Amino acid sequence: MNIRKNPYSLFCVLLLISLAVALIALGMGEHWINPLSPSSDMESRILWELRWPRLLTAFAVGGMLALAGAWFQVLLGNPLAEPYVLGVAGSAAVGAVSAMIFMPDAAWAVSLGAFVGAWVGITVVLFFSRLGSARLLLAGVVLAAFWAAVLMLLIALLPERGVALAYAWMMGDLSNSALPIWLLMLVWAAALACGLILSLSLDKLLLGEKHAAALGVNVPHLRKLLLLLASAVTALAVTAAGTIGFVGLVVPHLMRLLLGSLHQSVLIASAFGGGVLLMLADTAARTVISPAELPVGVLTAIIGVPVFLWLLLRRNA
Amino acid sequence: MIQMQALRVQRGDKQLITSLTMQAKKGEVVVVLGPNGAGKSTLLLALTGLHADYAGEIILQDKTLPHYSHQEISLQVAWQGELPPTEFGLTVQQRLEMACSGKLEKLAQALAYFELKPLAKRALGELSSGERQRVEIAAIMVRDCPIWLMDEPTAHLDMRHQVDCLKLMKQEAEQGRLIITVLHDLPQAAAIADRVVVLDGLGGVEVGLAKDMLTAKCLEPIFHVKLKGNGYDLMPAYQKEYHGELYEKA
Repeated sequence: MNIRKNPYSLFCVLLLISLAVALIALGMGEHWINPLSPSSDMESRILWELRWPRLLTAFAVGGMLALAGAWFQVLLGNPLAEPYVLGVAGSAAVGAVSAMIFMPDAAWAVSLGAFVGAWVGITVVLFFSRLGSARLLLAGVVLAAFWAAVLMLLIALLPERGVALAYAWMMGDLSNSALPIWLLMLVWAAALACGLILSLSLDKLLLGEKHAAALGVNVPHLRKLLLLLASAVTALAVTAAGTIGFVGLVVPHLMRLLLGSLHQSVLIASAFGGGVLLMLADTAARTVISPAELPVGVLTAIIGVPVFLWLLLRRNA
Repeated sequence: MIQMQALRVQRGDKQLITSLTMQAKKGEVVVVLGPNGAGKSTLLLALTGLHADYAGEIILQDKTLPHYSHQEISLQVAWQGELPPTEFGLTVQQRLEMACSGKLEKLAQALAYFELKPLAKRALGELSSGERQRVEIAAIMVRDCPIWLMDEPTAHLDMRHQVDCLKLMKQEAEQGRLIITVLHDLPQAAAIADRVVVLDGLGGVEVGLAKDMLTAKCLEPIFHVKLKGNGYDLMPAYQKEYHGELYEKA
């Protein structure tokens, strides 16, 4: 059976691959623990209470970022678009860092700050949703620069200890997500389902807005829905894990290279592929120099940049 | 089939068409002529429901356009215009499947008509503009809508495919479709037009039978070009102006 053509077999194959990767990643850590037969109660608790929730968080966040990236790319008609392109991550970072400054004692405040910040950013972007793709992108890039400036200002105001925290948050951290795992998995599944429902319309949008409309798609409606959906998913991913770069940019392109550009398969593959990539990156982040940890956002960028550059050269050839 | 009543079309501040009233019936080929920026493409977009900045009425079958959903219009009206973007690597086959809504025998027929079978698996970005234009004409074929709106269908095409395209348009009209098309080439217009709409670029419109409209007297003041000949031979007189008598008369 050709898994490129059959979404059910694609789904099943990717689910199996994800489970296999998760199982291996679960065993890896400071000490290798066989996930199928932990030798002690202690090991079993390390597996299921420490590593497993973190793996699931990585999977859900990675999948959400990749889905949001695929959506932003088709919404903006630009292959370089990614989940943070319209400044949502910047405003979330401003929110998170503000929370660190003004409520330094409450751990949950950082997530709340990020979530509120992300939605402030989305609300501002929605004002520009009626602009054409090119101008919307331009507005987003300018907004991102604005949020970056505000962020620099806040960091300048932070006491020394806070600077380290702020940087750690901005580089992405899956170790202390304030969001429950079931919520993240639910959002992942709901996002994939929404994407699949919209997939035929999204395919038509690849032909440009006029062609899509002439084929019966309500384009203004779809654009607004897509902007809201992609931004909301990005906001949740950022709330859970801070800003993790390149997953949202590279994974959809990799999947297009492997499976073609129709959205049914691209979205299924991105939801799983982004999840697997982030599980691997996070496992590397916590094992390479264990017991210390590398920031996961740094690893995804180190993996992502060469892959993407190779992709650009390949496209050009 | 499609009726325009006191249609006034604008884009931003610019008044493109001040008042157009006409009725186009099935089986007809209507050619829209006019200088660049006169509003030919915008008129087609308005008729597709993609350009809402107009006053007056557009009546499709028996209802005005705003009474239709996007989906309903797309079953009646097929539009061919700018070449679609190529960034995301769609193939010819995929692009046509989006247009044909499951009618695969139509798709095979269109691929064969425009000799696109060898290109079916190729990405649109790997094709030349002429090949991509053939894909777009094939896409309007597979739509199977009673009304075709075509914006410069012969652009980018080589001579043989221009001829094939015009032949297809005439045949389809004879089988009962309404075809409204923008063209720039006067002999091509003469070859297929039943009626002609001329936009003068200043808001004025004239509608008439092809044989009355495709004359030097009617078109010279609008295009500001010296024309020679009539009907099928109507063309700009630029040869003699620049080149003298270099070639022998046929």
